[in-house]
Amino acid sequence: MKVTAQPAADTLTLVLDGELDASSAVVLDTELNKPDLLTYRKVLIDCQKLSYISSAGLGVFISHLQRLQDSDVKLVFYNMQEKVFNVFEILGLDSLMNIVPTVEEAQTV
Amino acid sequence: MPTISRSAWLLVAAAACWVVLLLGTLSQSHALANQADVWPRWVLLLAQAGFAAFVFMYARLQPEGLRGHNFVPLLRQVFWRSLLATGGLVAAMLVERLTAAHTLPLPGNVTSAVSYTVVLALFILLLSQTLYTWRSLVGFRGGRKLRREWVVFELTLGIALLLQLFIWNVPYTLRVVLITGLALFGVYLSGHQRWVAYLSQGQKVQAILLQIGVLTCLLLFLRYLTQAQTDPALLAPASQQAFLVLTSFFAVFYAIAGLLVSFFNLPTADVFEQRRNEILSLQQLTQIIQRGQTAPEIYQALFDSAVKTVQADAAWFDTRPQPTDPTGSQMMPLLHHLTPADVDKLRANLAGLLIDERLEVIDNDLGRSQRLAGLGYHFCSVVVLTLRSPSYDYGVMVLFKEELEGFDREDSSILNTFTSQTVLSLENLQLAHEARVNQRTQDELRIAALVQERLIPKKLPTDDWFEISTYAQAAKEVGGDFYDFLHLPGQKLAVLIGDVSGKGVTAAFHTAQMKGIFHALMQANPLAKNERNRYPDPHRFMVQANEALTHCLERSSFITAAFYLIDYQAGGFSFARAGHCHTLYYHSIKEEVSYFRTEGLGLGIIRDASYEKYVKTQFWDYNPGDVMVIYTDGIVEARDGEGNEYGEERLREMLSACFYQSAEEINTHIRQDVQQFSQGLPLHDDQTLLVIKFKSAQPQA
Repeated sequence: MKVTAQPAADTLTLVLDGELDASSAVVLDTELNKPDLLTYRKVLIDCQKLSYISSAGLGVFISHLQRLQDSDVKLVFYNMQEKVFNVFEILGLDSLMNIVPTVEEAQTV
Repeated sequence: MPTISRSAWLLVAAAACWVVLLLGTLSQSHALANQADVWPRWVLLLAQAGFAAFVFMYARLQPEGLRGHNFVPLLRQVFWRSLLATGGLVAAMLVERLTAAHTLPLPGNVTSAVSYTVVLALFILLLSQTLYTWRSLVGFRGGRKLRREWVVFELTLGIALLLQLFIWNVPYTLRVVLITGLALFGVYLSGHQRWVAYLSQGQKVQAILLQIGVLTCLLLFLRYLTQAQTDPALLAPASQQAFLVLTSFFAVFYAIAGLLVSFFNLPTADVFEQRRNEILSLQQLTQIIQRGQTAPEIYQALFDSAVKTVQADAAWFDTRPQPTDPTGSQMMPLLHHLTPADVDKLRANLAGLLIDERLEVIDNDLGRSQRLAGLGYHFCSVVVLTLRSPSYDYGVMVLFKEELEGFDREDSSILNTFTSQTVLSLENLQLAHEARVNQRTQDELRIAALVQERLIPKKLPTDDWFEISTYAQAAKEVGGDFYDFLHLPGQKLAVLIGDVSGKGVTAAFHTAQMKGIFHALMQANPLAKNERNRYPDPHRFMVQANEALTHCLERSSFITAAFYLIDYQAGGFSFARAGHCHTLYYHSIKEEVSYFRTEGLGLGIIRDASYEKYVKTQFWDYNPGDVMVIYTDGIVEARDGEGNEYGEERLREMLSACFYQSAEEINTHIRQDVQQFSQGLPLHDDQTLLVIKFKSAQPQA
């Protein structure tokens, strides 16, 4: 699992590559825990290469959800594979989080 | 170099004494002929004593001749020197004979005086060489006590030399006591023949021959000198006899003793004793280890054994606590004849040796390497041993001896045996400790598994209206899946299934909590205005459970759950899904298998009142023959060898193929299919599967 951060103006894009499970969740958590994260207006998560997400991986996003909301930082997922989207959907996270098909839509959210 | 200049001065002084002695002897021989010009007797005595003293002191200052176990080269060196001296003796005798036969045109008394003086000088030189070679052999593997005894021996010899110089007429009894005492002392010292035991067969033969050679040379000299004493042509000074006789006696006696020991192949008792001590120490060490005592006890045993076995004069041992020691505190160094202040000083000076990568470093000549220069210790040899396993350094032991070449191959090998044995035992101790800790954890997990097992309902609800079959398997000892049933008055049945995110003990705790919440919330509300509100509906159940969990669930954890309230009198059920897997359903009238695709957010994701917007109650009327399959993601996410997931689709097809069977059979079919799919691979996640089959109200009818 690889996490690449791409800062641009008021938007931070995190590109996820690989399987997000209990062991790689730590890497993502470190990235989301950085204090300067809250200075952005928007955090985009590029899920194109995210092939699997476990409950521990979901837990990382869930645990940061409130903090980002409180600081008015929008969390947007895009390019999500269907299998991964199903996991979000079953848990009901699709009604709670911004999940859009393309990067263009992600930028206009 | 002060030593060299001192030796040079001694040589010069000896030469000067010899010249005086020569002139004095000449004057005496002249006096014999001319009756005039006689030097006083005390000048001769002084010159002779001075010569002997300087030569012996010179020999004493020479560096230790014995290196390691090179006994034969040492003996060979003495032998060649003896031979050289004897060559001089033979030449002197030849000149004397020829002069006596008038073959050589020399004055007879002058010749014998000169040759006597030369032979005496050669003899004293030879004696000094032999004595100090014997010192190396006597001191070999001897301790500090023996070295002290040797110094006493030297001192008494010196006293014997001085006594005759200053007291002209030594009382007869004193002389006898002194000579006998010293002779006995010499005999005692001659008992130290430990080196012989270290000779191989071939070396022994060489040593015997070389000693015979040295002995012969010494005896030749003695024969000449005793004859010369009585030679009427020479009034030799009957001088330091006591000293020379004693020294020769010791030199000869030691050689004879060594010869006998070598010849009869008698390893001396000391060597036996030492070997026995080594074996005993090793046994002791092994026993302490086998009894599985603590690390400090093992360290102490090693230290004591090592010091005793190699007879170290001083030592210290820096130990580190075991890696598993919870306190991890630094331990005090173990000490032998050293104070903590000494250790600090020595440690600073030996830093180079202490950080060496090798397990064993020996410096057998600390004087030359100048490591302890200026500290005022008498240590000449040091060995540094590191106790190391591939993963850990247990400590460093430093042993000192006051003698040069103090640590030889035997010491090294026995010390290495000790340390490797100790490292082994320390590792064992550690493994045993880890095994105990591991065992305890295992035991506790087993208890946790038993406790969790008790939380799972053993008695399934039975009724004519439905059949229930269950299956649950945790991936680890304890799991994060749970389910429960509760019969409510009025032919109602509450069913709860859920999955705590994460695995292991933490997840297991939350399953117990969910069970508690379930039973607490499903208590009848006595204040309810009507029958419908007596028990919470699925939506209210989820909202209240979510609230209850808010305070105890870690922020990154969540729980998925599905709750069903079956009213089999009315033939319908209400349910709510909180992020849990979709329910699979067989509709007997439409003859169709499909999932209830409803919305609902997992518990613990939103932790405020807004959660109620994210969960809904759904209603469904069932018909006899309908089948409901409730499960956790461990079923649909089971993986095969290539990492493919079992999936909702395959589960749906399974039910399509076996919906007509009993709940038990359907359950078994699905379970077997999942197991077949995952090809016996270890479980990736906990699996739970509930099958409920509805039947008509009166199945008999």
